[in-house]
Amino acid sequence: MPEISYLEAIRQALWDEMKRDERVFLLGEDIGRYGGAFGLTYGMLDEFGPERVRETPISEATIIATAIGASLLGMRPVAEIMFMDFMLLAMDQIANQAAKMRFMSGGHTTIPIVIRMPGGSGTGAAAQHSQSLESILMHFPGLKVVNPSTPYDAKGLMLASIRDPNPVCFIEHKLLYKLKGEVPEEDYVIPIGVADIKRAGRDITVVANNIMVNKALNVAEKLSKEGIEVEVIDPRTLLPLDTTTIINSVSRTGRLLVVHEACQTGGWAGEVIATVASSIAFDYMDAPPRRICGKDIPIPYNRGLEKASIPQEFDIEQEIRMLVGGKI
Amino acid sequence: MPVPFIMPKFDMDQEKATIISWLKHEGDYINFGETVLTVETEKVAIDVPSPATGTLSKILYKEGDVVPVTEVIAYVLMDGESSADVEAINSTLQSQPEEDHLNSQEKSTHLTPTTGLIKATPVAKRMANEEGLDISKISPLGGKIKRADVERFLTNKEPIKRVAIPATPAARRVAHENGIDLETIKGSGPRGRIQQTDVQEIIRSISSQKTGINDIESDMLPLTSIQRTIAERMQLSFHEAPHIALTVNVDVKDAEEARNYFNNLAEKQGKPRVTLTALLVKIVGWALVRNPLINSSYYKDSIRLWKVVNIGVATATPQGLVVPVIKGADHMNISEINSTLIDLTNRARENKLNLEDVRGGTFTISNLGMFGIDQFRAIINPPEAAILAVGRIVRRPIVVDNQDHVEVRPMLTLTLSADHRVIDGIVAARFLNDIVSGIEKPSFLLY
Repeated sequence: MPEISYLEAIRQALWDEMKRDERVFLLGEDIGRYGGAFGLTYGMLDEFGPERVRETPISEATIIATAIGASLLGMRPVAEIMFMDFMLLAMDQIANQAAKMRFMSGGHTTIPIVIRMPGGSGTGAAAQHSQSLESILMHFPGLKVVNPSTPYDAKGLMLASIRDPNPVCFIEHKLLYKLKGEVPEEDYVIPIGVADIKRAGRDITVVANNIMVNKALNVAEKLSKEGIEVEVIDPRTLLPLDTTTIINSVSRTGRLLVVHEACQTGGWAGEVIATVASSIAFDYMDAPPRRICGKDIPIPYNRGLEKASIPQEFDIEQEIRMLVGGKI
Repeated sequence: MPVPFIMPKFDMDQEKATIISWLKHEGDYINFGETVLTVETEKVAIDVPSPATGTLSKILYKEGDVVPVTEVIAYVLMDGESSADVEAINSTLQSQPEEDHLNSQEKSTHLTPTTGLIKATPVAKRMANEEGLDISKISPLGGKIKRADVERFLTNKEPIKRVAIPATPAARRVAHENGIDLETIKGSGPRGRIQQTDVQEIIRSISSQKTGINDIESDMLPLTSIQRTIAERMQLSFHEAPHIALTVNVDVKDAEEARNYFNNLAEKQGKPRVTLTALLVKIVGWALVRNPLINSSYYKDSIRLWKVVNIGVATATPQGLVVPVIKGADHMNISEINSTLIDLTNRARENKLNLEDVRGGTFTISNLGMFGIDQFRAIINPPEAAILAVGRIVRRPIVVDNQDHVEVRPMLTLTLSADHRVIDGIVAARFLNDIVSGIEKPSFLLY
């Protein structure tokens, strides 16, 4: 199986789906000649032409509104928001229009759009270009929120997202773009709403998303040498959330740690913990459920402070040691 | 506080009593245990003693009254108390939950589950009915009794004991499942919180304390995997299969003669001697074909009659017990069985059996005759339905004919253990009889 990067896996999914389905087209800022801010759509203008790779003005509201309109007329647009932070400019279109139209029309119409949005810190891009805003999106019924952590999942979930009849927010992480992994060349779909146990373990369940999955896996590998077996669950889709997999896992391990880069307050870790604590897993819990999240501050520009503001492997490791050791 | 004087209950099935006479009166000073009144039950007149020392007060029932048992009939005032103190207890009593409901009925108009006209939703009525509740006992939060009110009533019925002891939910669950009081456990967690391991530790120590065996010094032999397997399988068999055991004594004179004949031949041809076990395998194989129920296995909702006869022979080895299997024993002649058995036994002792050699048995023979055992019962080797336990041959005087002639004959004791879920006594007896006739007249089998 060929090894390609996370970025190439998403490009491959877009490319193949545009070949397969002529209703699929791209729109966004600088996605044509420039190839997008991260080069993800590089070469696609030449292949598919300006009709299907559409450059837009710098107006996120326009991008999403256009995508919604096109989808109402039968198209399957994939819109790019250059930085996730800018989705806030399109929030009315996303939350009040895209998310609700299917419901408010009594099911007479669907909004099959995909909104790609790279989030996350680690590039020194400061407070307005580094946020992880997935928790906000989870608060709007009608949306789906997809968040892959590996090249394999990225391709399979992108194909599923384009084919889904509902608006899907497809969240990428800037630091994952270069991550390589095995990705089949053929067409495959990873179902939306199904979590993946990235590593099985008996001592503690760690639920993490995007780049935190990889950090958690590194910690799990290290602790495994000391006999601490960490189960790492990547929900892959945050809305709808695969609570069954998480609850079953915690029922086995008796301990739960949720890790995300998004700010702690109002973050989805609280949702996971509340779900588990009120489930059958409660009677199996042998330690308080805990979370490690981004600090409740705007992401600093200073690289040292930027690092300090989001969970690092050391933090995850310490927290797991405390939980498994019965010290919290 | 005034002590309520209740109508005592003297008999298990007694519901009420009639007051015959008050021997003391309001204002009398009475001692604990002193007779205060006489009552009559359906059976007998009884003197009722005072529950306390003090002043008798507030007699609520007069002579001739029929009073339900446990009903308050008077109060005993402590020194310095007056009848006003009795009023005080009564008002406290009335604010308790059950009374509360009745009071609120009287006081408020919007909470109106009055008798005979109970306002409840159909779901609430159905639930109350299913749970066997008196719906009039349920007080609603709103105007009507709703599902939530019934649920609240149900959960409140058995109030959860709130413990101030810190413990994780998992620890609480394990303690509850094992009937262990959390108060007896010292928590190892932060701020003394009891964790699952703490409870498990207690469970372990309790189970070893019970026998006292842990106080005795011992060597620990870790189980080998073969030992663990045997342990699990025997436990399973003993637990699940109801064993019956049938014993017969067989005259092996002819069989031993036949074996000697074979062995003389074998010696001349340089072949190995035929063992008694090999002979038994031959006979058992033949008998299993005639009695297919013995060659079967019990499953949850069926009995599987095996279409092959694979006889396992329990064999002692330095590593422990193994049961190599002679496959298709019913189709083999005695010397084939003998040589197969010798090969399997040798390889078993050298620990060189492979998986195929020990799989697929449908019946087992266990022979302890060579160890001087007269007879024994074996545990069935699951999923088989029966096992034959073979004792030693003993020369014994027995009656050999109808004229009471006694001869000394070599006698062998065989005991069949059978799974009664599949095999009843008659089926087992027929099988044993076939084996006996095979042993007593071996010639027709030993072609």
